[in-house]
Amino acid sequence: MAPEPILEVRGVGKRFGGLVALDGVSFRVEQGSIFSVIGPNGAGKTTLFSCLVGSQKPTSGSIRFKGKEIAGLRNDQVVARGVVRTHQVVRPFRDMTVVENVSVGALFGTHQRRGAEARARVAAVLERAGLASRAQALARTLTIGELKRLEIARALATEPEVLCLDEVMGGLNPSEIEGAMQLIREIRSSGITVLMIEHHVHAVLGVSDRVMVLNFGKAIAEGEPLQALRDPAVVAAYLGNDVEGAPG
Amino acid sequence: MERLASVLLSSLLLAGLYATMSYGLAVIYGVMRIINLAHAGLMMLAAYVTLTLNTRFGLDPFLSLLVVAPLFFGLGVVLDLTLIRRLPRGGTGPSMQSLLLLFGLWLVLQNLAYVVWGGDTQSILTPYTMSSVPLLGERYGVPLLLVFAVSLLSLVGLTIVLRRTFLGKAIRAVTQNRDAALLSGVNAGRISAVAFGLGTAFAAIAGTMLSTLYAFTPDFGRSLLLKAFCIIVLGGMESFTGVAIGALVLALIENLAAAYTTIPTSFQDAISFSLLVLVLVFAPNGLPALFRGFSRRAVAR
Amino acid sequence: MSAWLKKTGVAPWMVVLAAALLLAPLVADRGTLNDLWSVAFAVVLASAWNLLGGFAGQISLGYSAFVGIGAYTTVLLANAGWNPWLTLPVGAVLAVLFSVVVGLPTFRLRGPYFSIATIGVSEAVRVIASGMEFTGGSSGLRMPSANFHFLSNYYGMAGLALLTVGLVAWVRVSAFGMALEAIRQDIDAAEALGIHSTRYKLLAHALSAALVGAGGGLFAMNFQYISPGSVFDFPLSLRIVLMPIVGGIGTLVGPVLGAVLFGYLQIKLLASPTLRDWNLFIYGGLLMAVMLFEPRGIVGIWERLRRLWRRRAPPTLEASGGA
Repeated sequence: MAPEPILEVRGVGKRFGGLVALDGVSFRVEQGSIFSVIGPNGAGKTTLFSCLVGSQKPTSGSIRFKGKEIAGLRNDQVVARGVVRTHQVVRPFRDMTVVENVSVGALFGTHQRRGAEARARVAAVLERAGLASRAQALARTLTIGELKRLEIARALATEPEVLCLDEVMGGLNPSEIEGAMQLIREIRSSGITVLMIEHHVHAVLGVSDRVMVLNFGKAIAEGEPLQALRDPAVVAAYLGNDVEGAPG
Repeated sequence: MERLASVLLSSLLLAGLYATMSYGLAVIYGVMRIINLAHAGLMMLAAYVTLTLNTRFGLDPFLSLLVVAPLFFGLGVVLDLTLIRRLPRGGTGPSMQSLLLLFGLWLVLQNLAYVVWGGDTQSILTPYTMSSVPLLGERYGVPLLLVFAVSLLSLVGLTIVLRRTFLGKAIRAVTQNRDAALLSGVNAGRISAVAFGLGTAFAAIAGTMLSTLYAFTPDFGRSLLLKAFCIIVLGGMESFTGVAIGALVLALIENLAAAYTTIPTSFQDAISFSLLVLVLVFAPNGLPALFRGFSRRAVAR
Repeated sequence: MSAWLKKTGVAPWMVVLAAALLLAPLVADRGTLNDLWSVAFAVVLASAWNLLGGFAGQISLGYSAFVGIGAYTTVLLANAGWNPWLTLPVGAVLAVLFSVVVGLPTFRLRGPYFSIATIGVSEAVRVIASGMEFTGGSSGLRMPSANFHFLSNYYGMAGLALLTVGLVAWVRVSAFGMALEAIRQDIDAAEALGIHSTRYKLLAHALSAALVGAGGGLFAMNFQYISPGSVFDFPLSLRIVLMPIVGGIGTLVGPVLGAVLFGYLQIKLLASPTLRDWNLFIYGGLLMAVMLFEPRGIVGIWERLRRLWRRRAPPTLEASGGA
């Protein structure tokens, strides 16, 4: 394992006028691990991801990817360096086919593939995401489960080193969740570091190496999944013991 | 010093007109998130209707407001029911489709005016058109003062409607948060119709007043439309007090430029066009928002 | 070759039209050639605009500025002794520069806000051009008369039209075109996949500005006289937008269809005094009809008809998967 974490976040803050969405969030992510971010709604998880990939500018703090500062860069610049995110509410290009959607990732990702290379890359990603049979379908005709996979496939096509998944399990049935968890493990074994925002505790416990809990923009716990979830502050944040699927 | 005072007064008088002109756009945008490009055409049409009422029936333009305003309110409701309703309600932002549809309507209205009234420049003459009153060392035309009075009255009237009537409150509610308003039981269809009617009525009031001040052709309205956009963007698109501020700011800039710089009048229109672009780019959420430091809709991120 | 053509969306009738355009001087009279020249000009304007407006989805209502820049560059330089043909690239370059100057601040705006800003810009340009001395003020300028040669002008415009459609077809199947399409459909999602939206918008704007600017120069060469009213005109910006919208925004065929339709319409309108009085009504009415009933224009109507036809046609053996 590399001594330096692939992602090092220090004191990241984000204000929207008077609203503090993120307040001094710090954490490290080791290369090749799966790092989950959980917390109640409105805790700032998606804002954190937005700051990581550049669709928002953090108002304070530093984000170092492979040792280099990326805070404040544009979204497309961050993607070019190897950090990509999926969206909580899927945003497919509805009038494009599945192949075309994924091609966008391959064409404009870290390696800017063209021609046969791009096509090969797209085919491989579709295979891995289980969408090969729907390749020529228009995105608007896909089911929610397929759309979630498309969202992941598109991001994978950019050939990232860090993949940020924003609530991919949302709206999936149990078998689809198992499938998603398996896909995430496969992504990790291919060498990609995964950050996940997730509400589904079973999934979080099932795949994560480390878990960080956010509440009101602050990190209130971090560590081994079970350990973090049992932390009293975390339990309190989730309103007593009302955490779905949590043991005890 | 005296010059400055008269420039300020001129600006105030002009601002009244500008504000009335802009409120029509603001109400429609606030409630329906539609950018009404036909606004210019409606102002123009009202001017011509006023002209006809004046030449055919000898009706004084200011008095004809009593006829023109309700008439155009009705027209606005009809337009909403026949045209705007048919547009798909997509997304949260203003749509290109409505923009282009209303643009088309503007062209149609222009042609209508050409056909009915001809393309010659028209103006309305009344016994008092040429009279003026001395104020602060300068003479101010009576029409301009009357226009200011009417503007003030209509703006006060609008404020009363917005604050005291149920419909008015519903309009403000929908402007601030459409979903919440709908959930609270506001009838979207009725509000839209009323909003469009109000917007059209205000366009008509502005058009009638403009007809007393300037000569006009069917093409008139384009530069005014851009000024109105400038004003509502300056004022923050969703705030009604903001529009008044925006109107004052634009009127001030124009009058100051005219009084203290040597920019020829033909270039003055370019000032408001450039201001529009500058404002859209640097302060897209209006001056009030600029001071508050927020960042929202019109600009990415 | 035919497979590539199909992929780009070039329809067979367009190839026929292109051939007709090139061969016409052999058989047609001067009047018809003038009309064809106008149609070719319209094709250049409509197809070039479509790069930014249709592919990238940014509707600019200020393209007459580029026509004007190209036209004035040609006239001013020709009057200074330049060969008019050599002025065309200069006009194109100036149009590109202007497109960047305008684009940098305004591309931050989205949808209708961008469109309104473009109206503001083009009106400002028109007012300034009317007021300046060296551009001849509002009375306009003339080309030096020694330079008029109709057949060259004709082939110049026809060539530009073919070049424009060819370039647009190429963009359509290229990665660049993919980026524009992604920007049109969901700009934030596009950025999230590595597309720097502003850069691609600027590129599309620049490419279309160059083509339109060259067209403006050719216009000056053929009309010999230009004025702010004729080239910096808002109704011109409007017609430029109307053609691709009515024809079918975002397609390759649409703008060409729109250009042919409007070219024909313009000719008929100018010929008949009664119709000319109704031209705004026709443009406005068409725009309204398209927005209300079929926003994808004539191409959209065609596709709807095709789908209806497919449903009506009796199922074949292959379609039903074999009996």
